[in-house]
Amino acid sequence: MTQPFVLSTAGVYDLVVNVLWTVSTVFLFLLVVIIVNKAWRESREGFAERRRAEMEPALFRYVMGTEPVEKFIPSGVSRRDWLVLEKVFFDLLRVARGNVNTRAREAFESLGMVDHYAGQLDSRRWWLRAEAAEKLGLMASERPTRRLIEAMTDPIPEVRIRAAQALGGIGTPEALRPLVGALRDAGRWSAIRVGGMLIAAGDDAVDVLLEEFRNLPDAARISAIDIFGRIKSLRACRLLLDLLKDPAPDLRARAAYALGMIGDPTNAGALAGCLGDPEWSVRAMAAKALGRLRETESVPALSAALSDPQWWVRANAAEALRGKGGAGQDALLHVLDSDDPYAAQQSVQMLQESGVLDTFVGMLVSTAAGEQTRALGVMAKLVKLRRIDLLTEVARDHPDRMVRQRLAALLGLPAPVA
Amino acid sequence: MRHLLIDGVVLFNDFVLLYFIALNATYLFLFFVSLIEVLKFVKRTFFSDYEHILASDLTWPISILVPAHNEEKTIVETVRSLQMVNYGEFEVVIINDGSTDRTLRNLVEAFELRRLDKVYRRSIPTKNIRGLYGNLMMPNLIVIDKEKGGKSDALNAGINVAKFPLFCSVDADSIIEENALLRVVKPFMEHPLEMVAVGGIVRIANGCSVHEGRVTDIRLPDSALPIFQVVEYLRAFLTGRIGWSVMRSLLIISGAFGLYKKSEVIEIGGYDSSSDTEDLELVVRLHENCRRKRAKYRIVFVPDPVCWTEVPTNMSVLIRQRNRWHRGLLQSLWRHKAILFNPRFGIIGAFAFPYFLFFETLGPFVELLGYVAVTLSVVLGIINWEFFFLFVALAVFYGVFLSIAAILLEEISFRRYPGWLDLTKLVVYGILENFGYRQILSLSKVQAFWQFLRHRRGWGDMQRGGFRKRGPGAAGAA
Repeated sequence: MTQPFVLSTAGVYDLVVNVLWTVSTVFLFLLVVIIVNKAWRESREGFAERRRAEMEPALFRYVMGTEPVEKFIPSGVSRRDWLVLEKVFFDLLRVARGNVNTRAREAFESLGMVDHYAGQLDSRRWWLRAEAAEKLGLMASERPTRRLIEAMTDPIPEVRIRAAQALGGIGTPEALRPLVGALRDAGRWSAIRVGGMLIAAGDDAVDVLLEEFRNLPDAARISAIDIFGRIKSLRACRLLLDLLKDPAPDLRARAAYALGMIGDPTNAGALAGCLGDPEWSVRAMAAKALGRLRETESVPALSAALSDPQWWVRANAAEALRGKGGAGQDALLHVLDSDDPYAAQQSVQMLQESGVLDTFVGMLVSTAAGEQTRALGVMAKLVKLRRIDLLTEVARDHPDRMVRQRLAALLGLPAPVA
Repeated sequence: MRHLLIDGVVLFNDFVLLYFIALNATYLFLFFVSLIEVLKFVKRTFFSDYEHILASDLTWPISILVPAHNEEKTIVETVRSLQMVNYGEFEVVIINDGSTDRTLRNLVEAFELRRLDKVYRRSIPTKNIRGLYGNLMMPNLIVIDKEKGGKSDALNAGINVAKFPLFCSVDADSIIEENALLRVVKPFMEHPLEMVAVGGIVRIANGCSVHEGRVTDIRLPDSALPIFQVVEYLRAFLTGRIGWSVMRSLLIISGAFGLYKKSEVIEIGGYDSSSDTEDLELVVRLHENCRRKRAKYRIVFVPDPVCWTEVPTNMSVLIRQRNRWHRGLLQSLWRHKAILFNPRFGIIGAFAFPYFLFFETLGPFVELLGYVAVTLSVVLGIINWEFFFLFVALAVFYGVFLSIAAILLEEISFRRYPGWLDLTKLVVYGILENFGYRQILSLSKVQAFWQFLRHRRGWGDMQRGGFRKRGPGAAGAA
């Protein structure tokens, strides 16, 4: 018989007992942690609620008046009270404007909160530094500007972003350059937040962005291009037009898109030229951009783009034509005769989505000269293209019996019941 | 003969003990990794400006894909909830996968849809499309009506119609929270070039009240079976997936809620219709493809975007569901066996795949045979009763410990069940699940293994009660 070398030995017995004791002790420990954690949190929240109710009336009197905040606060406030005070003022900043905001901000300075959080920017813990930068941004005091600019070089991106945000909130001109510098932070997440701040700064940011543009890496340039577009800066058009010829396709594509966002119709020619770019992403963005311009000069180029080998270019070109009013609509109707089934099908979709086909359905029973013939012609094209899902439904459900009959005849369906 | 039996039992006991130690050491390791990550996550989340994602033009637009087969009870509510999602640019694509009930009719009536001649771009082959429906006043809602081809086929059809670069798969019986998309897209914002897929947490809606497509009152379910599943889901998501995600070897993103880069999914041919668990299979294939390309990539889990879903309330449906999940796991492990211990696949081949093979697949066998062997050991006098009870107590306590650990993670981070009663219930059910529930699920997994060997496939029917409504007339809807 094989000697049972594990389970039957006394050593293993002891091992199992010890493990069992350990596991049950850890289990009990976890249970206690859960209970204590919950109880502590609830008591803390209860305390904050109570103190808030006690202090709020005095704080409201302070923001509505002119006297210093110290007169409204009981002496010897504890650290926990301090957090309650801070929360009340932050909540006020969120909902109030004008003098109330100014008074709340004065309170932050005179209660020493600004200095406290400026000091916290030196903390060894990154989340405390991030919290400090965040709160200083809300307090919007100019006093810690220099400290916040220093925080823009913090090794932790969250701290840098918060510092940038705070500087953006304070709105001092010296904050713009570090903000543009922060675009170098990799990641769309950072770009979004810094971008938002630069956009809020508006035209002032454009000058700095134009100056710094050539020194930025490609990823940051893409963000900068988007910012130009969203600020709708006409001053950036020259640079963006040059970028349409840049060797990097990403930059060309984003520049085309930004020109569309700016919306200056004089750029239509350059954008229409991009519809012949070797990169499909550039062509797609150019088509999209042209859709945003109020002009019709680009209609022929967009019609031609409906036969582009890339789906996205065709889709964007069709969408752009849809937004070009009568000229675009005529072009889409013209494409229904195209030999290219992809282009024709995109046109049908756009004509349906813009409600043009519904108008033609209504014209089937029109008494105006030529309208009925025109409508019948369009319907015949749809039947030929076999894009009749909508027409079949209309032939069944349309409230006008004449329309139902005409469509049924066109589609070869049985005549509708009266 | 008796000696031979004793030898066999002793050897097996030794194996069980070693297996038990290895398995629980892995669980413990995953728990500690998850604990650290959750604490970090809570700090990071405090500093997340979701309003910037919401407002920005630079935010990726998302196509939400909802496959639906016979979902007449919940589909309209699901679409309403999705339409109210707090996100910049998105579209909702419902794929009616050959429903035989009023799913399509209900959608057409509720949203005044018309059949449209939209262009269907067949990037991935699918079953025939019967029609595309839309409402010109709601341009971000599209309904695809197609022949029945299963969930994978439906999702592939959705991918073909989706116009945005990211798509989010959501189950038709699920409700995603208002800010879930903002939260789940954040990893794509942080690592736009590397991110391939992101999974969110799935929580159990049984017992919660739903009003206008929103979960308004979070409560634990009333009956035992769903509560066991609440504990199980907490354990799986908070101590399992977070841990795997940190180690860059997450193999599962729940089909109920996941966000993917469309181009990557199209590159691998979309979802695989021949798998019983299309979600697991997709993620494994994404890993495989990225590793083969030697691309820098990320597939991660984030615990705060929440998707609420109904879980089975009767045992037979639950067993069928778990049976399918386990069969799907076995299929994927078998199909991608080349990954196992293959250095080319890094930590996936070295740790994740062996874990799923040795612990998830063989675990139920070892557990059930372990019960038999330990009982036999007592009968044959290999161990005494005292040792038997000690061993069983240890096994149970370890199970309880892991559940309590998951509840602790929930308590220090997300606290979705705020009341003391809920907390007590979770702890009690965390203990009780070790007496019967766990063993029944192990049996269903053994059955799944047998079915896998016999190449049996299929989903079985999931009975839906519909969400519990709040307000007048709510009682009957529960």
